[in-house]
Amino acid sequence: MRDELLELLSNEFPEIDFEESDTMVDDGILDSLTITGIIAAITMEYGIEIPFEEISEDNFNSIDALADLVERLS
Amino acid sequence: MSFVSLYFIFFIFVLFGLYYILPAKCQWILLLLASLFFYYLSSAAGFFYVAISLAAVYVAARVIQGIYDKAGKDEDMKSLKKRSRPVLIAALTVVIFLLAVSKAGFRVTDALGVERGQGLARLVIVPMGISYYTFGLIGYLADVFWKKDRAQKNPLKLLLFMIFFPQIVEGPIPRHKKLAECFEKEHKFDYTQFCFGLQRILWGFFKKLVIADRLSVFTSQAFSNLESYEGLVLIIAVIFSAVQLYCDFSGCMDIALGVAQCLDIRLYENFNHPFFSKTAAEFWRRWHITLGAWFKDYVYMPMVTNPGLIRFCQKLKDRFSPRVAKNALSVIPLFVVWLLTGLWHGTGINYILWGLYWGAVIIFSTVFTPELKKAAQILHVNTNSKWFDRLRIGRTLLIFLISRAIVATRSLDTCILLFKRMFMKFNPWVFFDESLYTLGLDRRNMFCALIAMAVLWFFEYKQETGTRIRETVASYNIAFRWFLYLLLIFSVLILGWYGAGYNANDFIYMKY
Repeated sequence: MRDELLELLSNEFPEIDFEESDTMVDDGILDSLTITGIIAAITMEYGIEIPFEEISEDNFNSIDALADLVERLS
Repeated sequence: MSFVSLYFIFFIFVLFGLYYILPAKCQWILLLLASLFFYYLSSAAGFFYVAISLAAVYVAARVIQGIYDKAGKDEDMKSLKKRSRPVLIAALTVVIFLLAVSKAGFRVTDALGVERGQGLARLVIVPMGISYYTFGLIGYLADVFWKKDRAQKNPLKLLLFMIFFPQIVEGPIPRHKKLAECFEKEHKFDYTQFCFGLQRILWGFFKKLVIADRLSVFTSQAFSNLESYEGLVLIIAVIFSAVQLYCDFSGCMDIALGVAQCLDIRLYENFNHPFFSKTAAEFWRRWHITLGAWFKDYVYMPMVTNPGLIRFCQKLKDRFSPRVAKNALSVIPLFVVWLLTGLWHGTGINYILWGLYWGAVIIFSTVFTPELKKAAQILHVNTNSKWFDRLRIGRTLLIFLISRAIVATRSLDTCILLFKRMFMKFNPWVFFDESLYTLGLDRRNMFCALIAMAVLWFFEYKQETGTRIRETVASYNIAFRWFLYLLLIFSVLILGWYGAGYNANDFIYMKY
């Protein structure tokens, strides 16, 4: 799942290195528009809904956290 | 009670003294009493709305918390939210209704022909800080609903969160979880933090009294007599009006955050040198930060994750393309956010236009990012160069100035007239024929305003490039340090715009 998600997001956002940091939101690498793009990519690729409660820094700070989120909601 | 008055200075120093003498357990009670006193002197009639909003939100949050706490382990979040949603909606309806009445009530009663102070119009009150405390309460309630915060047990502590006096005038918009933790803590006197707080208050006075109130003389004269001025005079008035707004609002924030820092309470920053922003989106991450963050957390993100919108975007993907679907997922919430941001600032058509203008700029740059990047490549523009950054800063400033011109004159008719008259004549001779000195600021005061703006720009630039001004000042020897303090104090006292029968202008954002 992790590698598949990494490939998907790297294609969507080639300017972002998703393995660069474990604190992508805190470091300002991901802003709200990028997070929107990630939500769009994930929901449309995997057909899942991400509830608003899951939109937290912890779930978006790293590719591992994002992969966990997708697995949990799939 | 105005922030820029001797009464306020006396008030805060008495408060500081009592605050650090009293036992830690009593500190929040003292802050509540001080806030009630401040609110009573500033907006006594507003207590009626404050009490209704407090009661509605306090009860609703406790009921929602009760539903969550009593839930069985097998009950999922969806069903819990379903049960608590009516309570949430009821409380939100009450606070939003009161906000709407305070914002548009007089428009309705005027349209109905009811005289002010008579009949229905007597119920219309414009309490100080209603936009700020209402947004704080909505955020608190939403956080309890989404389990991001717990309901406050003590209604008096919730009241303090609502009307904490440094932030009630113009924000920053508070977040309950963080502020409640601050009120619970024991606050010990820290000499360094106290000095930093005082310095910040003084800097706020400088921005407000030396720059903002001085420039307001020029801008008021220009915008209330549009027929008398044209061309560069009005363009200069718009530029001055932008600087005036920044100094007025960020000056108030400096006073608010400085007072809070003296009390060992950290409020959210509301400004981060916005005039160095390279894009419109970045500008709004640096200007009125807490408003942008509030809309992001409580309107934009909930919309982005809304199942109905996601399903709609999936249909767009099937029918058109993935790009259309992804753009729709950000464009629709952005449009709503900017419409609401416009309405938050005012209910006039020009405020709605102002919100849509910012929305259009940000949506355009979001949707067409790939094309803009491609165009830069084709034109061989080095987007990483310093000159390109400066160009982008200039472009963002221009976008901001246009937005300022839309609302500077307060009505759509005068806004159109302003744009017409700004560009009807190119009159560079106004720089030489002394006509600029006929708008209320003589040569000496104009010079003073320009020097003060240069000083402001210097410190903003230094901070933007990493210099920590207050820490740097603290590192100087005591004689030089005090020379700088006295220079700033006397600048405010001597160069502040007081005039006969001095009464400082209200802060511009106070009415929002």
